Amino acid sequence: MRPALVIAGVLLASSTASADSFAEHDYILNCSGCHRMDGSGSRIVPSLHAMGELVGKPGAREYWVRVPGAAQAPLSDARLAALMNWLVTRFTGRPPTPPYTPHEIATLRRTPLRDPLAHRDTLSRQNTGNIQHLESTPR
Amino acid sequence: MSRLDRWFEGLTRQSARRLSRRHWLSRFGGVLVGGATLPLLPVARAAEDNAMGEDGVRGREGDPKRCEYWRHCAIDGFLCSCCGGSHTACPPGTEMSPVTWIGTCHNPGDGKDYIISYNDCCGKTFCGRCMCNRNEGERPLYHWYRNNDLNWCGGASAQTYNCSTAVVVKTAQEAQPER
Repeated sequence: MRPALVIAGVLLASSTASADSFAEHDYILNCSGCHRMDGSGSRIVPSLHAMGELVGKPGAREYWVRVPGAAQAPLSDARLAALMNWLVTRFTGRPPTPPYTPHEIATLRRTPLRDPLAHRDTLSRQNTGNIQHLESTPR
Repeated sequence: MSRLDRWFEGLTRQSARRLSRRHWLSRFGGVLVGGATLPLLPVARAAEDNAMGEDGVRGREGDPKRCEYWRHCAIDGFLCSCCGGSHTACPPGTEMSPVTWIGTCHNPGDGKDYIISYNDCCGKTFCGRCMCNRNEGERPLYHWYRNNDLNWCGGASAQTYNCSTAVVVKTAQEAQPER
């Protein structure tokens, strides 16, 4: 009787999870059309598995939210924060620390990237130091 | 034996006396024409509306060759099921584009919403049959991820558009907000 109650409790808790439970749904509906279900991209769309190359680099965390596909996604800040936490964990193998918050997402979305690929090149060449001054304000 | 012969002889003579050949021809013609017009009756059309599709949906909403098929809710293009393929497979000689438009459609059979992937088939000239342009939930070009006037053959090796499929990805947790 008691294990059944515990299982019922766990099921109830998982079914009432809020924005987190939509992460995969939001990925399929808003990302997978171009990046594909497995994130491998195509001839014209970057692979999400390449995110691993930027792990630990200064500015990478901010860059991942400011790319057009993420920043312009038709999702609320809370849903995008949950999606980014899920997505970074899935494609880099480790969760973002600290996790993205809706407030952080809202701030990052306000500063668009004019040239995402050039910005990415700058990030991947950078090993240490703070490069926040790059494209931190809209031109 | 002779009794059977006599019985048949009697029957044949009797019908020869009563029925002329023209009378028989006119009856036979009537049956032919009448049989051909049966499908035009409202009864036959009602039966078509009750036909069950593979998803358990009745009528035109259950038929993958119709624009009214439930999975086609946001489609804009030629149905591959009319072009030598099916609603989930490309016609021979074409390639399914990896880059695709994705939306949700409501299945009237079980009342659930499903995520649908409208993969285009590319590499041959446009099919031209079963044009279907429903666009439910579509948005203008400035929302490019919700716009289906783009050529979604962009990711394939040949960019010529042939037709569109409608593949179920999985059940949706909610219908897409653009409705």
